[in-house]
Amino acid sequence: MPTAIKTEHLTKTYSTRGGKVNVVDDLSIEVEEGEIYGFLGPNGAGKTSTIKMLLGISYPTSGNAWVLGKEIGDMAIHHKISYLPEKPYYYEHMTGEEILTFYAKLFNIPPAERVAKCKMLLEKVNLAGDAGKTISQYSKGMQQRIGLAQSLLNDPVLLFLDEPTAGLDPIAHVEIRDLILQMRDEGKTVFISSHELSDVERICDRVAILNRGRVEQQGKLDDLLRGGRIEIQADGVSDAAAEKLRTDGVIVSNHSGRLIVDAPDSSGSDGFLDAIRAAGGRVISVIPRRKRLEDLFVETVTRATERLKEGSK
Amino acid sequence: MSQVFAIAGTTLGEAIRRRVLLIILMVGLAFLIIAPSLNQLTPRGERMVLIQMTLGILKITSAILAVTLTVYLLPNEVERRTIYTILSKPVQRYQFLLGKFLGSVGALTLMIGMMTLVLLVAFVIQQQSFDMNDLGPIIRSSIMLVFQMSLLAAVAMFFSTFVTPVVNFFLTGLVFVFGTLLNPIFESLGERGNQPAMQVITKIAHYAVPNFSTLDISTNAASDAGARIGGNELVYMSQGMLYALAYIGILLILAVLVFDRKEV
Repeated sequence: MPTAIKTEHLTKTYSTRGGKVNVVDDLSIEVEEGEIYGFLGPNGAGKTSTIKMLLGISYPTSGNAWVLGKEIGDMAIHHKISYLPEKPYYYEHMTGEEILTFYAKLFNIPPAERVAKCKMLLEKVNLAGDAGKTISQYSKGMQQRIGLAQSLLNDPVLLFLDEPTAGLDPIAHVEIRDLILQMRDEGKTVFISSHELSDVERICDRVAILNRGRVEQQGKLDDLLRGGRIEIQADGVSDAAAEKLRTDGVIVSNHSGRLIVDAPDSSGSDGFLDAIRAAGGRVISVIPRRKRLEDLFVETVTRATERLKEGSK
Repeated sequence: MSQVFAIAGTTLGEAIRRRVLLIILMVGLAFLIIAPSLNQLTPRGERMVLIQMTLGILKITSAILAVTLTVYLLPNEVERRTIYTILSKPVQRYQFLLGKFLGSVGALTLMIGMMTLVLLVAFVIQQQSFDMNDLGPIIRSSIMLVFQMSLLAAVAMFFSTFVTPVVNFFLTGLVFVFGTLLNPIFESLGERGNQPAMQVITKIAHYAVPNFSTLDISTNAASDAGARIGGNELVYMSQGMLYALAYIGILLILAVLVFDRKEV
């Protein structure tokens, strides 16, 4: 697969009163063409700073990065990429149609093509009926949709979406998510920075988790979420027999006489089932649970933060 | 250039909707309307006093408009993150800056034009005559005022690439006062001063700070000689315009050099 984005030891340092701070620290990632790549991290992890460097808006302190095979800052790539910033603001006095026309002019799109394109995109994001309203009359979801429309004006190969579903109501949320999936189906590469982990889990092919500017985890979502847990429910097991099931990493609890064994799926279920039956118990259910992205995220960030704390001692 | 004009158009559209600018404009217009009637209270209701007073009001209002409009142009774009969507498109930083500047010059021209029109109407009503010998100098002064205010906007634009709007407001104001009142004095000290060191310093100060008084022909407009445009005045105006354009060019180049390296 050709590479859409590649960074090598990308670093961004800011000078603060307390000294120098690496907001992006030795970042090396690769995003393949045609995939949806989730760029995750807590607030201040360096997600937006990375995007700004990739867009050529901000300059790296050290390291290298390439977008669509060209070094960042090359104006030629700006014809093929687009960006939807977090909480975008558009000139409030302009109507939805005027906003799209303005951005189309920035791409030097000829007038006749511009009119047709704006009309098509307004329809695509379900704003054709509200094209004459000013941005100040738009709801948050409508503003996000006009933002997506402006990001599609140049029919981009690569889209950078910074928190595209933040603060939206459930309906607007689903609409934006569907639009992103539609973009992938059209062969576009989508680079998403988001806190909405349920969305990321549903739509992303690969993710990177950042903490304090460093990549702590990255890979295919399926690989990262492998290694979940199994939950076995049983009754009629004595406390003494239940106690014998407890080993490292296995959580055994009793809820109103019902035994719940929560074990890593690597330990397998057969051993537990045999032991429960041998103790005269009855197995009610065996539920395999895939690791959730939220768990992976919290686990990764907590571990990284603890490591940093220990390192600073 | 399509990008520059698109940004300029949006800047102009936004400027003419800004409440603070409209309020300043309204206050200026109100003063211009009542000024001719105040002139009747002066001991000699002379034409010269009237023209000087109204052109003074026009100049002060325009200067406040120019500074208020320009100091927030760049910071607002960064604060509202509009700049990110624009710079992620095929738009170079210099095109963005130039577009913002041209938009602000467009807005200033429109506002000065509107005030001049009101001033002319008020003048005709007060004088109860339509005499181009009276109106011509006012129009010529207003044209020069557009260049003067464009230069002031370029000063504010330059400062806005590296200082906060509040600091910019005072710095630009200081440059305007310095360039209007003190620069002519430095010019003459640089030419006729007794001490060589003082001559050098005053010469540097004279060239470093734009000489706004060069672009001010209101005194001439108010005099009887200003009523008739002669060859000399045309040359003087043309030289003033060239001076303003050259200075604006230098300031914009400096602004681009700073803005190009700036983290936004």
